[in-house]
Amino acid sequence: MSDRALQDRVIRALADAPFRASAAWRGEPLADPDRVERFAHFLARHFYYERIHHFFRYSRALARITRRAPDAVLAAPGFEALFPTLVLGSRASAEAVARLVVQYVGSGEPGVAYHADLLRYEQAMMLVESGPRVWRDGELGDGRGERSNPVMVAGTVLLDLDYDLPAVLAKLVEPWTEVPACPRKPTRLVVARSRHGRVSVARTTVVIDTIMQLADGRKNIEDLAAEAGLRPEELAATLQGLVELGAVRFSTGS
Amino acid sequence: MTRLMVGAFYNPHLAAELLDAPAGQLDHLAMADPPHPQDPHWPKIRERFTLLLHDYLGQLSEPLDERSILRARSLASLYNTPWVAEHFQCLHTEDGSYQLNYVFPPLYTEEFLGRFVVNANALKARLDQPLVMENIPGFFDVKASQMPEPLWLRRFFDATETGFLLDLPHIWLEAHYHGKPATRFLEEFPLDRVVELHVAGVAQDRDLEGPWIAPTAPSDAMLDLLACAVERCPQARAVTFDAFSPSLTSDVLWQSMERIRGAL
Repeated sequence: MSDRALQDRVIRALADAPFRASAAWRGEPLADPDRVERFAHFLARHFYYERIHHFFRYSRALARITRRAPDAVLAAPGFEALFPTLVLGSRASAEAVARLVVQYVGSGEPGVAYHADLLRYEQAMMLVESGPRVWRDGELGDGRGERSNPVMVAGTVLLDLDYDLPAVLAKLVEPWTEVPACPRKPTRLVVARSRHGRVSVARTTVVIDTIMQLADGRKNIEDLAAEAGLRPEELAATLQGLVELGAVRFSTGS
Repeated sequence: MTRLMVGAFYNPHLAAELLDAPAGQLDHLAMADPPHPQDPHWPKIRERFTLLLHDYLGQLSEPLDERSILRARSLASLYNTPWVAEHFQCLHTEDGSYQLNYVFPPLYTEEFLGRFVVNANALKARLDQPLVMENIPGFFDVKASQMPEPLWLRRFFDATETGFLLDLPHIWLEAHYHGKPATRFLEEFPLDRVVELHVAGVAQDRDLEGPWIAPTAPSDAMLDLLACAVERCPQARAVTFDAFSPSLTSDVLWQSMERIRGAL
């Protein structure tokens, strides 16, 4: 085994609790098991602190109303109970941690009409950010190659809300004395992640909805346009925007 | 020795107070993240302070891709930084499946030394500013390592002619967890290569059941180590209070700056 592969084994042991508990690691540990376990817990708390701090920042701004700071869950027994199952960066772990935050913050003091929508939005952002990412261009599966048919990227989320949250988000993180109001208006958002891990949000349109429903990797742009009743050039600009957002990629030729 | 600049990290939530500080209280700011597009203070921060690029550029166990190099060049130009800093770290697996999101050192082996030397030289050749590299602490030893960290670093710096960003709390922690006196451990490192020093506070961590870096003021012991290090680093040009956290308060920042200046 190369030294690089050994390093990967140590990184995995720190990031992946089930692997750390497995015979594959415990049979040939590369470091003191007690210290590895303690450092893994330290890293997990740090990892999810950064994500909760970032993705639940609007709920943090509302904490003086709800009396619930999102990152407080990291000091609660519920988070520590997750230690044996956490895999840093995985979708399942992001779901488990985000669920704790939503349960805790959502049970705070009432007073923000759109808070349930806001929590769903923040939870979606955290989930979409999870999963393996491309660290260096040129890695396997980085989406390069001969362009073929458009396909919706796995993990992209379409979020239906009762309130027009994009209208209020910026106001929440500015100084305020009264909770900023948010228009009650059905709103659909697409939340996606770029190959390099940047999470973006956009309002959907009829064209975007159509693409998201039909982009299954089997239809080319002309087929998509025909099914949607649009001209291919009408579709192309929106498609490019969705590719930049990370919601759609072109399947690569084999 | 040239006059040492004394500075801190740019914490955007403290920007207004940084700008209100009297001249001479803070010489530079290290930039761990690019400025937020909506940061209202950024233009004045950029105008007033010397800025040091201290972002995550990539891990040098692998070559940096073109996108990362262009990003590094762009940030270096934006900040007009006198040098570019990166870390001796390897924190994600080669295939990208697992990551730690926190600095973590490589194995101290010949193979990794070769990788870091080649990739650091390649990065250095693409930068218009000198490259400096920061030491990273290990909370535990990995059995596969083949040589002590100070020797590995010495050989790296000899092969690359890059500068050393000496993180003193990292030395202090490593010494603590290995039961060694920090000042003696410090002397094993290639101090003649040091361009910048980091100093910070430590606090008890519940998971580690021991001390770790925290956004608190440096202790007397840390400042004694700083004074000791500065005497042994003839090329040092800057000392930076290494606290980058939304929980850092302005009181801690200014108290720390005063204590650091007092120790020099």
